[in-house]
Amino acid sequence: MNRREALKQLALLSGGALSLTTVAGIMGGCSAETNGGAGFTPQTLSQAQNELVTQFSERIIPATDTPGAKAAGVNQFIDHMLTNWNTEEERKHFLEGLDRIDQLSNQKFDDVFAELGEADQITVMEELEQEAQNNSDADLKPIFSMMKEFTVVGYYTSEIGASQELVSDIVPGYYDACMPYSEVGRAYS
Amino acid sequence: MKNKNFYVSDAQSENEYDAIVVGSGISGGWAAKELTEKGLKTLVLERGRDVKHGEDYKTEHMPPWEAEFRGRGDRKLFEEEYPRQLRSDVINEYNYHFFVNDKKHPYQTDEEDPFLWVRGYQVGGRSLTWGRQVYRWSDLDFEANAKEGIAVDWPIRYEDIAPWYDYVEEFIGVSGQEEGLDHLPDGNFLPPMDLNCVEQDVKEKIENNFEYRYLTIGRCAVLTEPHKGRGACHYCGPCSRGCSVGAYFSSQSSTLPAARNTGNLTLRPNSIVDSIIYDKETNRAKGVRVIDRLTKETKEYHAKVIFLNASALGSTQIMLNSTSDAFPNGIANSSGVMGHYLMDHHFRVGASGTFEGYEDRYYKGNRPNGIYIPRFRNINEETKHDEFIRGYGFQGRASRASWGRGTSMDGFGKEFKEKLRDPGPWNFGMTAFGEILPYEDNHVTLSEETDEWGLPQLEIHASINENEEKMREDMAETAAEMLEAAGGKNVSPYFGEYLVGEGIHEMGTARMGRDPETSVLNAHNQTHDVPNLFVTDGACMTSAACQNPSLTYMALTARAVDYAVDELNKGNI
Repeated sequence: MNRREALKQLALLSGGALSLTTVAGIMGGCSAETNGGAGFTPQTLSQAQNELVTQFSERIIPATDTPGAKAAGVNQFIDHMLTNWNTEEERKHFLEGLDRIDQLSNQKFDDVFAELGEADQITVMEELEQEAQNNSDADLKPIFSMMKEFTVVGYYTSEIGASQELVSDIVPGYYDACMPYSEVGRAYS
Repeated sequence: MKNKNFYVSDAQSENEYDAIVVGSGISGGWAAKELTEKGLKTLVLERGRDVKHGEDYKTEHMPPWEAEFRGRGDRKLFEEEYPRQLRSDVINEYNYHFFVNDKKHPYQTDEEDPFLWVRGYQVGGRSLTWGRQVYRWSDLDFEANAKEGIAVDWPIRYEDIAPWYDYVEEFIGVSGQEEGLDHLPDGNFLPPMDLNCVEQDVKEKIENNFEYRYLTIGRCAVLTEPHKGRGACHYCGPCSRGCSVGAYFSSQSSTLPAARNTGNLTLRPNSIVDSIIYDKETNRAKGVRVIDRLTKETKEYHAKVIFLNASALGSTQIMLNSTSDAFPNGIANSSGVMGHYLMDHHFRVGASGTFEGYEDRYYKGNRPNGIYIPRFRNINEETKHDEFIRGYGFQGRASRASWGRGTSMDGFGKEFKEKLRDPGPWNFGMTAFGEILPYEDNHVTLSEETDEWGLPQLEIHASINENEEKMREDMAETAAEMLEAAGGKNVSPYFGEYLVGEGIHEMGTARMGRDPETSVLNAHNQTHDVPNLFVTDGACMTSAACQNPSLTYMALTARAVDYAVDELNKGNI
C-alpha cells in the first residue's frame, strides 16, 4: 500500500499546469522584527517575501508549548524547495500568490501582510482559505493551499516538528502491535 | 553491429574457475553460496558497483531533516534520469542510489504502453531493496498450465521443490504464522510479527463472513529473533536503505558472507557480461566475455559450469546476445521460445476504509511487513470464478494517519496544530497481486540500439489481456466487500493504471519445460541445449502464480546447484 504513498508525497508540493505570467511586484515595508533565521539569505524569495512567508507559516503552525514554523525554519525550507525543487511555473505561481496575499491585506487593512497585527492577519488568512476552498480543483493550487502544504511538510519533517512537537522514534528496538495510545501520547512523525 | 574479433582471448589461470555465476542478487548470491560450499572455485560477476554491508548503507537511520529534500528526493534529477524507476513508487531520496539511472541504462519499449523495468545494478542487486515477502507455491500453481492447457507444463511439482523450500527458509530465516492451507504451504517459521488491533479485528470478521478467505501476517524474510549470526529486526522501518544488523535477507547479510567464508569466492563488481562463449566441439559453454564497466576493457573468464542469475531479462539478454553458427538466435535457443512468455504480477487495484473503535490504541515500531490474504479464487470447485482462471492475493495493512493529513485538513493556527499532535483515524488499505498468464506475444528481443558499452539494448513488449482485466474487476469488488463486511467506513475501491513490470516481479523468457522444442530449461534449470549452462533466476518461470516469487528462485537455485555439481562429479557435464 505504501508504495503509492511515495509518489503521492512527491506530487504533494507540485502545482499542476498553467499560470498567468505577471512580474512579481516589489514589496515594501520590510519589518526588522523577524528575519526567519539569522544569517539566512534566501535564493528565490526577496527579503520582503521571506518576511511574509515567515509570518504566514508561523500563523499556520504557531509556537505554543513547542516551537512553531518560524523556529523550525519553514521559510528556509520553502525557499530551498522553490529554488531547487519546484518547476519554474510553480515558482512563478507561488510568487504571484504572495502578491495576492499583500493585495488582499492592502485592500482590507491598507498595509502589507507582514505589517498587520495578529487579528488582521488571521482575517486575511481566513478569506484566503475560503478562496482556496472555492478553487480546490484549479490546475495550480491557490496560494493558501500551497503555503499550507509547504508549512506542514516543512514543519513536521524538521527536527523541531518531528521530535519536539511529535515523537520521533527512529530506532524503536521492538514492535508492540497494540498498545494504549496514552503510553505514547503523541503521534509519531 | 557486434564485432566479435574485438575480443582477444587470454587464457591465463586467473581467468579459470570451476564455476561462474553472473549476478549477485537474490538468486546469484544463492548460487554463489551453494557452489562455493560444495568446494567449487567460483567467480561471481556483478555488472554494478560494490556495496559493502553496513558501510555503504549511508542513509540507514537518516532523519528527514538531514535529507536535502526531506526524503522527497531531487525531483528534477528523478524526472530526468530516473523516470521509469520513479514510476515504480519504491524509489526515494534515501534509496535511489540502489536503483539504476534510466538515462545510463536505456531499453526500448512502446511509448504508449511501456514496460517498466526496475533494476538495481550493484552487488546485492535488488536483494537490498526487495519487498521481503516470501510465499511457497503449491501444486495448485505447478499443475495449472497442464490442467488448463495454458502454455507448457512445469517439469516439476511441489514435492520436487519442497525440501529446497525447507533448506532455503532455514538458512535465510522467515517469520510467519502457520495456517495449514494446502495451496499456500506453511514453512518452518521464526515467530510471526503481530497483527495490530484493527488488523486482528478485520481478520476475525473476514474469516467469519467468508469461506476460504483468511488473513494472516505477511511471511517475510525479516528476522524476529537473532538467526545465524544476524541480528533481529529493530523496527526502524525503511529496509530499502540497507540494514547493518542484517535483519532482512540480502546477499550482503546472508549468502555472500557464507560464500566468502569458504575461501572459494571471487567477486568481481563492475563486470558486465557481454555474452557466453560456446565451444562447438564439446557442446559446452566455455566461459563468458566481460566488459569492464569503468574502463570498457574486455576479458574472458572460463569455467566448467555457468549459472545465469542476471535477473529474468538480464539473463535472457545475455543469451540472446550469445550467437554462434550453432545458435544464430542466441545460445540454448534451439526452441525459439527464448524471450517470449514474459510475465509479472498485476496490481494497483484494491480498497481502503476507515475503522472506528480503536482511537485509544496505537503501536510502537515500524513493522516492515503487512497482512496477507491468500488466494481464494479458483482454489477448488466451490471457488471457481466463471470469468477468469487463476487468482490473486492481497497485501496491506492498518495504520493510523499521521501529520500528512494536515496538508488537506481545514483550518490553521493553534487548534490545527493541536489536532495534528494526535494520530488520525485508523485506515486499512489493501492491494491485490494477481497472476498474469504466460502469453507468447509478451516478449523481448535485441534492439538495433546499443548502450554505452556497445551492447544491444532490450526491446520489451508486454501488456495484460482479458483474463487479467476480468480479474482486476473482481479484485476491486472483493477488496471492498471484505472491508465493508469487516465494518469499515468510507470504503473506497481503488482501481489504478498498471504497467507490466511495475510489480517488479518480472518472470519468464527462458522457461522451464519438459520438451526441448518448447522450452529453454529442463526440470533442473539446465538448458536443454548446453549441459553446463544453468539459469535459475526469474527467467526460468513457466507460469507466474500470484505469490511473490523470490523464495522460489532461491529454492530452484539451491536445487539446481545440487544437481549441477552432482553431474559435474559424474563427468556428465
